[in-house]
Amino acid sequence: MNDNELITAVREQRNKVPMTTPVEQIISRGRAVRTRRRIPGIAGAVAVVAGVAVAVPALLPSSHQPGHQRSAQLAAWTITKQADGNIYITVRELRDPAGLQSTLRADGVPASVTFYGQQNPACQGYPASQALLSQVFPSPAPPPRPRVVIDPSALPRGAGVQLTGNFGPHGMGMGVALVQASQQCTGS
Amino acid sequence: MDFSEFYRVSKDECLFTVLVSVGDQDTAEDLVAEAFARAWASWRRVSRHPAPAAWVVRTALNANISRWRRRRREVSLPDLGAVTDLPTVSQESGSPVDPRIMAALMRLPARQRQVVALRLFLDLDTRRTAEVLGIAPGTVQAHLGRAVAALRDDLIPTPKQENL
Repeated sequence: MNDNELITAVREQRNKVPMTTPVEQIISRGRAVRTRRRIPGIAGAVAVVAGVAVAVPALLPSSHQPGHQRSAQLAAWTITKQADGNIYITVRELRDPAGLQSTLRADGVPASVTFYGQQNPACQGYPASQALLSQVFPSPAPPPRPRVVIDPSALPRGAGVQLTGNFGPHGMGMGVALVQASQQCTGS
Repeated sequence: MDFSEFYRVSKDECLFTVLVSVGDQDTAEDLVAEAFARAWASWRRVSRHPAPAAWVVRTALNANISRWRRRRREVSLPDLGAVTDLPTVSQESGSPVDPRIMAALMRLPARQRQVVALRLFLDLDTRRTAEVLGIAPGTVQAHLGRAVAALRDDLIPTPKQENL
């Protein structure tokens, strides 16, 4: 192998790690960035017109603004549906388990998500072999560090997924298990 | 080119360029996603940039520096993967990336990695690479030369001489 072949081999690696964030999520985040940039100007204009300072706080970003919520979602956890149907979940912060749960359910995965040691008392374990668990929660291909992967097509009828996020002796992490699907536990 | 098309054609190269610099895919993906979001928010300006992908990478790398400075003052959290009840991941099976090349890249000093990433993965010329990194063009060439030599030593086995 000469230097040109070496450079070609190195260069070929660049398309082998796909970026999985959907463009819609990028644009949603971009809207939040743009809104944040515009707010000082808008707030100033309103304050001048109204002649009172009390108008300003009403225009500052709040957690109820849709763009802001999407921003929080990108930071705390990301769900990405792959072309093969697998769902990748990356959790960076243990926040908004209800949002994560409802997003999974909207993607057709019966799911129960709880953080910080809380459990949904309505959930009952689903008897599952290690082989079945490996099918439902396949390992992602390296080089990404581990994240939770769900293969919805491997879920047996009547089963749902249970994700429990917590801090343990090794730090933050997600536990995965199968539970019996029910309206109270997994939403369906 | 509209933003969606730009994202489609350049996202993987930008990700890999930043990945080689920061060494962690989730971090790289977060940084690149945020940089693309900022590019969308300023698309009228960024689309006229001579190398919009370089703008994204520079923004991502700057954000990484800010992130590092911020996190120095925080308690670090171990990786999600440190928890034992997650599915285990084999570092060898199924990797689309050549692990030898990736390991050799990661052994390079940070600045050499950045130069390799910008020159080889984003196809930037020496002048543009120098602008992105804020260094002299001659320094870019020197870093690239050293990096290629180190990769050659790492990846191309030297034939052993036999004693006759």
